[in-house]
Amino acid sequence: MNNRPLKRYSYRIIANDFMVAGKGSSSIKSNLKSLGIDATIIRRIAIISYEAEMNIVIHSFGGKIHCDIYENKIVLISEDTGPGIKDVDLAMTEGYSTATESVRELGFGAGMGLPNMKKYSDNFEITTGSEGTRITVTVYL
Amino acid sequence: MNFSIMLDRSKCRGCTNCMKRCPTQAIRLINGKAYINVSKCIHCGECVKICPYNAYTPECIEWHDEMNNPAYKYKIAIPSTPMYGQFPKGTDICKVQNAILKLGFDYVYDVSWAADLVAKAIKKKIDSDKTTRPYIATNCPAAVRLIKSRYPSLMDNLIMLREPMEIAATLSREMARKKYNLKDEEIGVFYISPCPAKLLAVTNPIGDYEPSVDWVIPLNTIYGDLYREVIKADNNTCSYPSLEGIKWAVAGGQSKNAKLTNYLAVHGMENIIQILDEIENGRLSDVDYVEALACVQGCVGGSFNVVNPFIASNHINYISNSKQYESFNPDIDRFDEMYNSGVFDYKLRDEDNPMKLNIKEAIEKDEKIKEILSKLPGLDCGSCGAPTCLAHAEDIYDKKSLLSDCVVLRAKEKNQEE
Repeated sequence: MNNRPLKRYSYRIIANDFMVAGKGSSSIKSNLKSLGIDATIIRRIAIISYEAEMNIVIHSFGGKIHCDIYENKIVLISEDTGPGIKDVDLAMTEGYSTATESVRELGFGAGMGLPNMKKYSDNFEITTGSEGTRITVTVYL
Repeated sequence: MNFSIMLDRSKCRGCTNCMKRCPTQAIRLINGKAYINVSKCIHCGECVKICPYNAYTPECIEWHDEMNNPAYKYKIAIPSTPMYGQFPKGTDICKVQNAILKLGFDYVYDVSWAADLVAKAIKKKIDSDKTTRPYIATNCPAAVRLIKSRYPSLMDNLIMLREPMEIAATLSREMARKKYNLKDEEIGVFYISPCPAKLLAVTNPIGDYEPSVDWVIPLNTIYGDLYREVIKADNNTCSYPSLEGIKWAVAGGQSKNAKLTNYLAVHGMENIIQILDEIENGRLSDVDYVEALACVQGCVGGSFNVVNPFIASNHINYISNSKQYESFNPDIDRFDEMYNSGVFDYKLRDEDNPMKLNIKEAIEKDEKIKEILSKLPGLDCGSCGAPTCLAHAEDIYDKKSLLSDCVVLRAKEKNQEE
């Protein structure tokens, strides 16, 4: 009973589509805002979901972001299909990035994605393998 | 005391201008006439300014009667700082003060003296606490109420110092009590206000303090009488205002008065909404102090003023830099004693803080409203009497409106019938 969220917002994220990149996280933001969630919490969720979304766009073959609302917390789940993160510790280092030159030219791939997600969360879990990556981030209300 | 913004329904044509302009969506049109939801209204005066038919008027009837209240043995007038900007350039400020006395007051306490003191308190508070950034000014009651209703997470950024109007009332009241041996109820303190928001600050303050001002007089309701007395006045001796303190009339003035360097002065409802959005998004934490003032140019832009805000600003600057007057402040030496005894400070009451969110109820409500919203055309035309389709959906949810109030839906239905 306690494990089921009161509400789930889900967004499909398409790989390499920079035209719509960011739409998912801004929808999450506006949904949380219309619920009346505290602005400081929304700000943290917005940063985390934006980074998660960009990671899916830049590095994966596509995926989904779920924003689960509980009585006392918001849990953001980012899941994608491949190719996985080879060295998680390295990927968690600020400034480390595997983004291609063309992505960097667009202004992305600064190597702050995962570190930022961790920085703004209360709990951060990552599981990764060649079939995909799943990140679960919790922010307490 | 009466609600300060009244609508003359015979003048209202139901044009939707005020409804669309209202920053808290407090106005609805019912049967083609505007109605203000008093609990949502922040008294910013935007509706007064935008109404093309001048249907909104300030209404504080009681102060007329209170001027003749026999219980008051001593009546104090506190003119707002923008008031000196409301007369032709070069008008002697002593003539203005003496003209106020002629209207039936015993004493004029210049609000600029209190402004000096509050400015010092601002500086001291900013210097002593470097963690809260930016601090947001609390002298504009409309801006504070906007924050309370739309930016509750920024309540912690409010500097929470009582505004000069209140400090002026406290000090002048104390003076009258001691000097003439009067009781509090024998003293009437009247603030001559540039805006409707000050009335709300007196009748319904945010914070745990008891207002010292008794009555608020909209400046434009006495302007004619006052101007006639100014022309007649021949006595040009008086206690001068503080030439630094009167700068509060114009945006940026209080920061200058407080000798701040890293401040941001933003004025006009649309502009302060943009800046508050920025602060809420975590930016501007490198700024010490944000003066958020609801009216364009600051208090000189208040809807009870008479002169154009930009011209009035010029007048205020002229007076402030004039060699004709000598800056004066009778109470400036009392600052340390006052600051240490906590005269300036106030705290929020429980009801001032945002209500705790019941997330389950919020989700249910949100789903129902979105369901209603999906049936509406999304044109935000305002013809139903609500400013947006979302506001209409919320009204339907609150059972204050019907889906069939939507003109577009009705037209569609009619077309289908034919």
